[in-house]
Amino acid sequence: MIDLQERFSERKNFFNRLILIYAVFTALFIFILYKTYSLQVSSFSDYEIAALKNKTREILIQPRRGIIYDRNGEILVNNVPSYNLILKPAFINDLKNLLNEIEQFIELSNEQVEYVQNNFQKKASLNRELVLKKNLTKEEIAKFEVRSHNFENIFIGERYSRKNLYPDLFSHSIGYIGNLDSDGLEKVLSDQSLLAKETIFSYANGFIEGKTGIENIYDEKLRGEFGKKIYEVDATGKLLDELNEVPAINGDDFNSSLDLEAQKVAFNAMNGRRGAVVAVKISTGEIISYVSSPSFSVNKIANGLSEKEFQELIEDKNKPFFDRAVQGRYSPASTIKPAIGLFGIEKNIIDWDYTIKDPGFFILPEDNRIYRGWKKGGHGDINLSNAIIESSNTFFFSLAYQSDIDDLTSHLSKFGFGRNICNDCFLPDTGLLPSPAWKMNTHNFGWFKGDTVNLGVGQGYLSATPIQLAYYAAILANKGSINRFSFIKDNSLSEEDKLVTNNINISDWDKMHKSMIGVIDSPKGTAGRLRSLKDYAIAAKSGTVELVSTDTKEDYKIIRENEGNRDHAIIIAFGPMPNPEYAVSVVIENGESGGSVAGPVAIAVMNSLVNR
Amino acid sequence: MIKRITNFFRDGIYFDHYLFISITLLSIMGLVFLFSASQGNIETTIKQSFFVFFGLILMFLVSQLDPDFYKSNALIFLLLSVFLLLLTSLTGKEINGAKRWLDLGFFTLQTSEIIKITLPLFLAAYLFDKSLPISLKNTFISIILILVIVNLVRIQPDLGTSLVILIAGFYVLFLAGLSWRFIGASTGLFVLSLPYLWNNFLEPFQRQRILTLFDPDADPYGSGWNITQSKIAIGSGGFQGKGYQQGSQAHLDFLPETETDFIFSVIAEEFGFFGVCILLSVFFFIFFRCLYLALNARDRFCRLTIGGISLLFLSTIFINLAMVIGIIPVVGMPLPFISKGGSSLLSFYIAFGIIISMATHKKLIRQ
Repeated sequence: MIDLQERFSERKNFFNRLILIYAVFTALFIFILYKTYSLQVSSFSDYEIAALKNKTREILIQPRRGIIYDRNGEILVNNVPSYNLILKPAFINDLKNLLNEIEQFIELSNEQVEYVQNNFQKKASLNRELVLKKNLTKEEIAKFEVRSHNFENIFIGERYSRKNLYPDLFSHSIGYIGNLDSDGLEKVLSDQSLLAKETIFSYANGFIEGKTGIENIYDEKLRGEFGKKIYEVDATGKLLDELNEVPAINGDDFNSSLDLEAQKVAFNAMNGRRGAVVAVKISTGEIISYVSSPSFSVNKIANGLSEKEFQELIEDKNKPFFDRAVQGRYSPASTIKPAIGLFGIEKNIIDWDYTIKDPGFFILPEDNRIYRGWKKGGHGDINLSNAIIESSNTFFFSLAYQSDIDDLTSHLSKFGFGRNICNDCFLPDTGLLPSPAWKMNTHNFGWFKGDTVNLGVGQGYLSATPIQLAYYAAILANKGSINRFSFIKDNSLSEEDKLVTNNINISDWDKMHKSMIGVIDSPKGTAGRLRSLKDYAIAAKSGTVELVSTDTKEDYKIIRENEGNRDHAIIIAFGPMPNPEYAVSVVIENGESGGSVAGPVAIAVMNSLVNR
Repeated sequence: MIKRITNFFRDGIYFDHYLFISITLLSIMGLVFLFSASQGNIETTIKQSFFVFFGLILMFLVSQLDPDFYKSNALIFLLLSVFLLLLTSLTGKEINGAKRWLDLGFFTLQTSEIIKITLPLFLAAYLFDKSLPISLKNTFISIILILVIVNLVRIQPDLGTSLVILIAGFYVLFLAGLSWRFIGASTGLFVLSLPYLWNNFLEPFQRQRILTLFDPDADPYGSGWNITQSKIAIGSGGFQGKGYQQGSQAHLDFLPETETDFIFSVIAEEFGFFGVCILLSVFFFIFFRCLYLALNARDRFCRLTIGGISLLFLSTIFINLAMVIGIIPVVGMPLPFISKGGSSLLSFYIAFGIIISMATHKKLIRQ
């Protein structure tokens, strides 16, 4: 037993120790209170947001792409609905019984039933929709509609497909859509400050983007903006209530400059031959017709192609995917002659009365090399106008010979050669406008006078795309100025290219137009066969691109046995004269004669535009 | 008539109305909170109400017995509860890989909740007549006893409760006059043995919980989930709270264990900082009433018991709150009188019954 003294000290000791622990705990509880205060009061807004983020789930709503119209308001590309039968698994108790009831009037395949059975539980627990049957027929829709009051947890949902109503006609101009990959999607969504997450799709194919052509270039405008539905969710991600909806904003419709009728005419006139047609409205630079032939069906590409079909398209030696209109490089051949002639005028090398004697060939003084014309014996005494009409090579060899190459290149550049002249073409090629520096860099050779001489007739290194040729035609037609080309209807805001000249005046342009009208209408014109195809004046210049150089017609007959060796046929044209509205360029690969093969295509397009 | 009843209450029965009223209040608040935390589960709430009702009666009955009864029977209580512990580890009901419960048919008893009371009671009874400072022999006997019992609980496994038992034992030892030198030496030893304890005494999931504490954002959807969601629940409650049964964290299943360990998060979410303050005020009232009673207890045995048990109560609350606000690792620890669970509830009613008994049975110290 402890004594009183000890009892007293024990008590004191106990008091001290208990109060010590209580003091420590009091401090600890105050700390807890402080921590709670900082969570609930100081950091309240952070945690409020976190709790809100926890319990809400945003589900994106895919917008529909804009409709693409032709210049007259005809729909070219549209969104076509398909109808799916959709279940709400969370509200369905007896799936088996339900499927049996549906099968009474809508046929279901084993795969469809299996798919639904396999995914039913998961979708039900998350309260998500489940597609039972895709692409319902009209009959199936009608059968369901009359019975729909019996099936409140089933509904018919719309899903769209992007459909080009003229799938082969606009393959290269409008292009096609395809699946948007995850990186692309992330970018699209981050532009709208959204995160990639669950989406209510408007398109049967899911996320889509324009892959080529207008669909690609104007993807951002056509795409629209994602909307969102905001749901309350629990921790498992099950959707509880819809709290809010921000509707999707469908993409802007696109009024294109393209003309359905002219496009049809151009496409049919090409008739699957390899080549391209570009027609533009001169006053605005609007692209009216844009055909690269042969073509392919964009709808098939967009909606899934079998491996075999795809391989066939890829391996097709006519390269249907290749967009010849902006990517095909062709020598302009004789179509360059008006530009060369104008160069002679500008530099005072020649005037309209300047005449030379054309013996059918030109001998380069430096090395006595012979450059031949197309007509044996030549054109005799010939001036610029007749040299255009009859397409004298000798005249232009001689003129080019007297030209400074740097001046000549910069002159041709003003006509669009070697430049991208389109605001919104898909992957345009600039062609090639050669220069001494270019030749040194790529061929490691100096520039020969002979190279300049070749340039005078559009052969040699010079190459241009059909759209550049159309641009060149348009700038000739418009007497030295033109808007950069575009697929937008009413392209009047487009930047204007103006040819700055010192010595070319209106009368020179008029004389050039007159000469080019003569190409068709003059008895000696190289494209005289086109005269009967039209009842108004058209200015033109045809060309024949030599792929293999031959000295005689007999030699050519031998090499033409191989179709690939045959000359390309080219023509540029504008009309109706004297106040031209439209300019056209046509290239037909291995078509041999610019005037008689490419010419009718150009006239057909021109007729469809002029004779309305 | 009324006077007679009050007289009866003053003289005939042993009753501390401060503790009784505050604990009753706390219990009723607990039922209200539990109803919301259990997603409005009536069955759970009614079951808990029975425990509260019988617990309060039990507390009253326990408080009528003289402290000497507890003193003389402390060893029997201890042996009985150790027996129950052993029985649990042999025939206990396994839930989620833990064997902590004895199935009594009408009620599953968590036996570690009983030893939580009987161990400090026994230690108080063992040490009350030992001279100061406590001899090394008595210290070691006490410590070995504590460690053996703690280990029996730890292997169930029940880290939280074993921890509480450990500190409850040490509180009694400390209050009884454990020498400071010994405290210093054993603290040093404990710190040095931490790496060993870490590697050998903690289950991998327990280690993960401790690591999570220091960086809950490292794996917010995995091991950090509970604590992250708990903080969001508390923080988003703000000052006023979201309203009764309006807590999205609790009601949309983001918050784990809402009925037991994380019930405080539900309270904080629905009643805000204001509600937290009221709850803590009731707790504080009980703490300081206990302190007052301990300081004024009639003898050393009562002092040690009241001190030990009230510190056990404080520690349990502290561990629970510190856990849910993310300042200590997650250990299973109910909030006394609030969390669901009959065993914990009954053990605290018994504990406070003993405290009231010791506070109200006065006897004059004869010279």
